[in-house]
Amino acid sequence: MSDSGETPAVVKEPEQVHGLLAEYTTPQELIEAARRVRDAGYSRWDTFSPFPVHGIDPAMGIRRTRLPWIVFCAGLTGGSLALFFQWWTSTVDYPWIVSGKPFWSVPANIPITFEVTVLFSALTCFFSMLLLNKLPLPSHPLDRHRRFARSTDDRFFVLIQASDPKFDRRETARLLDSTSPRHVETVMEDNVTPARMPRGIVFALLIVGSAATVPFALAVLGRYSTSEQPRVHIVPDMDSQEKFKAQRKNPFFADGRSMRADVTGTVAHGELRDDDHFYVGKVNGAFAKTFPEQVEISLHTMERGREKFGIYCSPCHGADGAGQGMVHQRARALLQGTWVPPTDLHQENLLYKPVGELFDNISRGIRNMPPYARQIDTADRWAVVLYLRALQRSRSAKLEDVPESERGGLK
Amino acid sequence: MSHEAETHQLEDNITVDSEASRLSQISLGVGAVALAGAVLLGLGDLAKLQRAYLVAFMYVLSVALGVLWFVAIQHLTNAKWSVVVRRVAEILANNMILIGVLSLGVVGPMLAGSTDLYAWLDHERVHADHILHHKAAYLNVPFFTVRWLVYFGFWIWLGRRFFKMSVQQDKDGGDHISKALQRTSAPAMIVFALTLTFCAFDLIMSLDATWFSTMFGVYYFAGCVLAGYSSLALALMWVQKTGRLATSVTQEHYHDIGKMMFAFTVFWAYIGFSQFMLIWYADIPEETHWYHWRFEGGWKVVSAMLLGLHFVVPFFGLMSRHVKRNKRSLAFWAIWILAVHYVDLFWLIYPTGQGTVPFGLVDVLCMVGVLGLFVGVSARRARGVNLIPTGDPRLADSLAFENA
Repeated sequence: MSDSGETPAVVKEPEQVHGLLAEYTTPQELIEAARRVRDAGYSRWDTFSPFPVHGIDPAMGIRRTRLPWIVFCAGLTGGSLALFFQWWTSTVDYPWIVSGKPFWSVPANIPITFEVTVLFSALTCFFSMLLLNKLPLPSHPLDRHRRFARSTDDRFFVLIQASDPKFDRRETARLLDSTSPRHVETVMEDNVTPARMPRGIVFALLIVGSAATVPFALAVLGRYSTSEQPRVHIVPDMDSQEKFKAQRKNPFFADGRSMRADVTGTVAHGELRDDDHFYVGKVNGAFAKTFPEQVEISLHTMERGREKFGIYCSPCHGADGAGQGMVHQRARALLQGTWVPPTDLHQENLLYKPVGELFDNISRGIRNMPPYARQIDTADRWAVVLYLRALQRSRSAKLEDVPESERGGLK
Repeated sequence: MSHEAETHQLEDNITVDSEASRLSQISLGVGAVALAGAVLLGLGDLAKLQRAYLVAFMYVLSVALGVLWFVAIQHLTNAKWSVVVRRVAEILANNMILIGVLSLGVVGPMLAGSTDLYAWLDHERVHADHILHHKAAYLNVPFFTVRWLVYFGFWIWLGRRFFKMSVQQDKDGGDHISKALQRTSAPAMIVFALTLTFCAFDLIMSLDATWFSTMFGVYYFAGCVLAGYSSLALALMWVQKTGRLATSVTQEHYHDIGKMMFAFTVFWAYIGFSQFMLIWYADIPEETHWYHWRFEGGWKVVSAMLLGLHFVVPFFGLMSRHVKRNKRSLAFWAIWILAVHYVDLFWLIYPTGQGTVPFGLVDVLCMVGVLGLFVGVSARRARGVNLIPTGDPRLADSLAFENA
């Protein structure tokens, strides 16, 4: 009988035997007792110790855990899932070019693969360990046992459960007695702790569980709905910077303008542009028919012009200048009604336009072509004009225009 | 646990004189012949010979640094499990004097004015190259010489201190020597990290003086530790094969050494990939050319080999508990790691932008020569000392050690 001294508050049914508990004072005694119980062929029993005891596993006849294999499989699963998901999002679901890298390149995906492998392994290890040990265990008959409390301090215990097929109260007691324990006693079933979880805990779990679905529900909602409102800023980002924008009021300055005008009567360093021919393309108010003296008519300038033409002009006008660039083709493919086709640069009137006017068109834009003075600097715009002239000439070129050494290849 | 320790007594034969003498004679003989052969064969192409020697030298240096680190970290953490294997590591780590002498083979030609390996020694190139010119404050002969003396001075001092104090403890016993070595280990570990890092910068990274990677020292360190543990495992196996330490070093100790080999296999890959990815991602020409050289021609195969044979295969190979607890399988992986570690250093030191992999007889002879001297001197030092620190108060715990 239990000598725990505690009188159960409510006795619902006659007490039943849970098992026999033997107490030892040293780990050696515990290991020896475990060997005896193991050899006697018991299967539902356990040992308890305040600290890990080396050699207890073989003494109890416990096979090595399957945990490493479970963790290994989880790690492989995590790694391959991570790789697959990254491949799928970046090449199948939402291909997007980032800094000119290919859609799919392995190095960029390794850190995440590594992390997910570790995450899967660690979480699986933790939860599998709990499950394999049949944890969590909210209550156990031994919890109510006063002597057993010393199992976390300086005593070692063996418990053989009554549910073991070999369990026989007298035989088992005799076996335990023969292991020279300090004490053997019967542990009764716990009939005080209710079998069902307390309501408060059930409600708390339900509330936490429901709340946990809210973020996912919001994410799903966000995917399938549209809104007129600006998005929610959890962290204020670059949308709201502490700065004044152009054309806005600014109380700091007397005139209340954010944009500051040049100081009257001054020219910023390097900004003096008094040469109309070079900077505006005009001589005496009319478009210049010749290149300004700063522009060297050379193969070098021509190459520079070709480079800039390739970067800035060819997307619309095409590499050959015939107005069939990629942007134009794309706009046509998308059936953009408002699209104004780019000009064919080989048109008759363009052939006779003064170079100054071509320069002006590039600098300030014309019709729906935007100005390029900001993006291409002055000398380079002249180089583009020079290249354009060469491009136009190529349409009506004669054999005599080609250097004699290269004529052979054209015949 | 302490209760079991009382039952464990040291009953083994713990000195290994005659076998060590024989091993020492054979190794020194083979080493000297191989080195002489390498020099004769390499006289025609001194640049090649220097490079082959540098690989072999950095190899034995990495083994010695690996075991030196092992001894230091055991003292630093007051480790109990490792006491029975620590003396063998101390003997290997006490070889720093030999390594210092061997380093003359690298530093000698540098000081004598050879510019075959290190472009930063070439005054004209430094003058013409903007980047080298900028680095001249660090990469110059006087400062390099000072650093080289500091590196080897420190390593020799540390290796000797660990060895001598430990042998002293065999006679005197007592806790105070363990405590003193623990106190040494903490600051020594910091200086060790700095000296190893800058030595790797100076001797390997500066081969391509325009290139830089702050992670390079850690990469070399990962190789050092791998080589150190693998060599320690093999040295212990040799000692046990002679019948010594038969019961004191158990599969539990090999298991722990195997765990570290596994861990540092992953660490090596982690550092190697981190270094690669940052450079790959930033895509800056000053950095990418180093990898470009290693991804062209024959080097492409070597790079792929490193990924597969230095990481993937040993990663899965060393994962199982049974592999680490079995002496034969652990020996197999220790030899494997030592082999791919050579490939790793070869891959670090050789590429210069040509696609061909110039592995030849000179490389083999240099490696065999330097390794022979290292093994031979180690075996000589093993004579007349206990192979177990018998005076260490943690010895009983180590003898009783079990993996849970």
